[in-house]
Amino acid sequence: MYRPTKIFFYSSLIWLVVGMLYGLILSLKFIWPNFLVWGPLQVYLQFGRIRPVHTNMLLFGWLTMANIGALFYVIPKLCRNQLAFPKMAVSLAYIWNFVIVAGSIALTLGYTTTTEYGEWPLWLDVVVVLGIITLAFICFTTIAQRNEKQLYVSLWYFMGSLIWLPGLYIIGNLPYKLLSGVPQFLIFWFYGHNVIGLWFTTVGVGLIYYLLPYLSKNPLYSHRLSLIGFWTIATFYVWNGPHHLQNGPIPMWLMKAGIIPSVLLIIPVWAVLANVFGTMKGKWHVVAHNTPLKFLVSGSIFYLITCLQGPFQSLQGPSSIVKFTDWVPGHAHLPVFGAFSYVAFAMMYYVLPKITYQNIYSEKLMETHFWMSTIGLLLFTFSTWTAGVFEGFAWIEGAQYGLRFVEMLIAMQPFFWIRAVGGVLMFVAQIFFIINLYKTIRLSKKTQNTNESTA
Amino acid sequence: MGSFANERSMLTYIIGATILFLIGVFGTAYLPFYDDQMQVPNENAELRNFAHDSAEYRGREVYIREGCHVCHTMFVRPVLADSTLGPISQPADYYYEAPAMLGSKRTGADLMWVGNRWNADWHREHLLNPQKILPGSIMPSYNYLSEQDLEDLIAYLMSLKPSPQTEGRPVSN
Repeated sequence: MYRPTKIFFYSSLIWLVVGMLYGLILSLKFIWPNFLVWGPLQVYLQFGRIRPVHTNMLLFGWLTMANIGALFYVIPKLCRNQLAFPKMAVSLAYIWNFVIVAGSIALTLGYTTTTEYGEWPLWLDVVVVLGIITLAFICFTTIAQRNEKQLYVSLWYFMGSLIWLPGLYIIGNLPYKLLSGVPQFLIFWFYGHNVIGLWFTTVGVGLIYYLLPYLSKNPLYSHRLSLIGFWTIATFYVWNGPHHLQNGPIPMWLMKAGIIPSVLLIIPVWAVLANVFGTMKGKWHVVAHNTPLKFLVSGSIFYLITCLQGPFQSLQGPSSIVKFTDWVPGHAHLPVFGAFSYVAFAMMYYVLPKITYQNIYSEKLMETHFWMSTIGLLLFTFSTWTAGVFEGFAWIEGAQYGLRFVEMLIAMQPFFWIRAVGGVLMFVAQIFFIINLYKTIRLSKKTQNTNESTA
Repeated sequence: MGSFANERSMLTYIIGATILFLIGVFGTAYLPFYDDQMQVPNENAELRNFAHDSAEYRGREVYIREGCHVCHTMFVRPVLADSTLGPISQPADYYYEAPAMLGSKRTGADLMWVGNRWNADWHREHLLNPQKILPGSIMPSYNYLSEQDLEDLIAYLMSLKPSPQTEGRPVSN
């Protein structure tokens, strides 16, 4: 009965490892540009080609599949019914896996539309859109046929996300040769920013609102706050694209139209975090002994940091220093890995025992997973942020191209090293994660078999 | 919780979420197409409007295929950090570009006007062995490109120059 969730979860784990392996290769190429340059690998592991493979695999292979698996579990629970069209949901998992494989092959071979996070070729985009519509259809049907009258906050977030994602994806991946110039680039960033803001963020926040009351055993602190949070995200997030062209070739009205909503995003993130802290009231001691809760609360805090950083760097002054530097990948890893992958980890640790009827194999491995991921992420982000600020100031001092640019790069090597070490820790942590889940699943299969034989 | 009667209806959320989304799309994705400032080509745009059978056009395809836009921007800002990069980018410069590759990360230097900076021989040497010309550079070597691809790519890079008429916007802060 939990087959769709299981297939989505298990496939997402494969993409998590493969995608992070690509990330690791990228980080090592900052230290040794000739890392893995050998025969055909030189072409197919070339930096410019594998960077989009890394981002797409982790965004759409890992995090999206983990999110869909979670939706297929949480929505029926909140609606007190069964998932509609389970067979369609299972085929969706196979189609989605095919898309990731085909997309990665296309990118490796150099077929790219250059839209950041939407580099896959157009024919695949069509498959993706059909897949997203199928997903929305399954989820909305389940919600429409619910036995529970009240729509819990998480469901608002899920419904919003499922409306926004198809819209975003279609507009963002419009045939790129039809449009041209800066307006088209604005559409790129309308998509690039909002696929994070109106898909990963909103599904993630919905999952936080679902999991937190269970894990902390406290009711959700404020219904009204979650209401404010939802409608302010819906109002402000869509407007964020233009801040990617801060100080760029766009008219002033558009710059303001992008920056003011970016700053106002402090309201929804404050609402979510106030709600998280309110719910945790009196239960902070539980965090020490509950790893999934640890992931969830840390994820929420990383979300807060990201959303304070975002408005800051969208302003004209800070943007003129950190834009285009290594600050940016540091900022980008915080929501995707720190915030919403953490929520997905918490979700899997919470859901798998329920659907496999087996406790998580090892508490110790869970703790190791948490601490290695966190230390790795902190090394990664702090090294990139620091490097980014140095790079920005070096450019101001005139190291903008040629030998002086390269001198600046050489000076940044220690930071690239720290980032790579952080990356290795983050990667190894996921190996522990997967071993732990694999053992859990194996144990559950064994106990199920013995149950059958004794019966 | 029962006091929120409208929360029992899916329709509130579906309609609300759709309308707010469409307003944002209208403002940031649709309206720009009707802005006069962004809807005129200039001399630079004409220089970058390559014929489909030109070496520059093919070179641009190589540039995209190899993912050069991942590490190089084409985006000169009116800020100190871009002060030696040449004329400041204007919307009109990109008028014909599809897709426009303004970029988001400068792992390598900005290439908006790179044709002004080095000559074709320099580009050839640098593409084949970046570390030879710029010791310590982390750019990968493109010695696997076919001779044709390399020629085309160099032609494209050399074409990235401002027109003589370009003054650009003044540098602020």
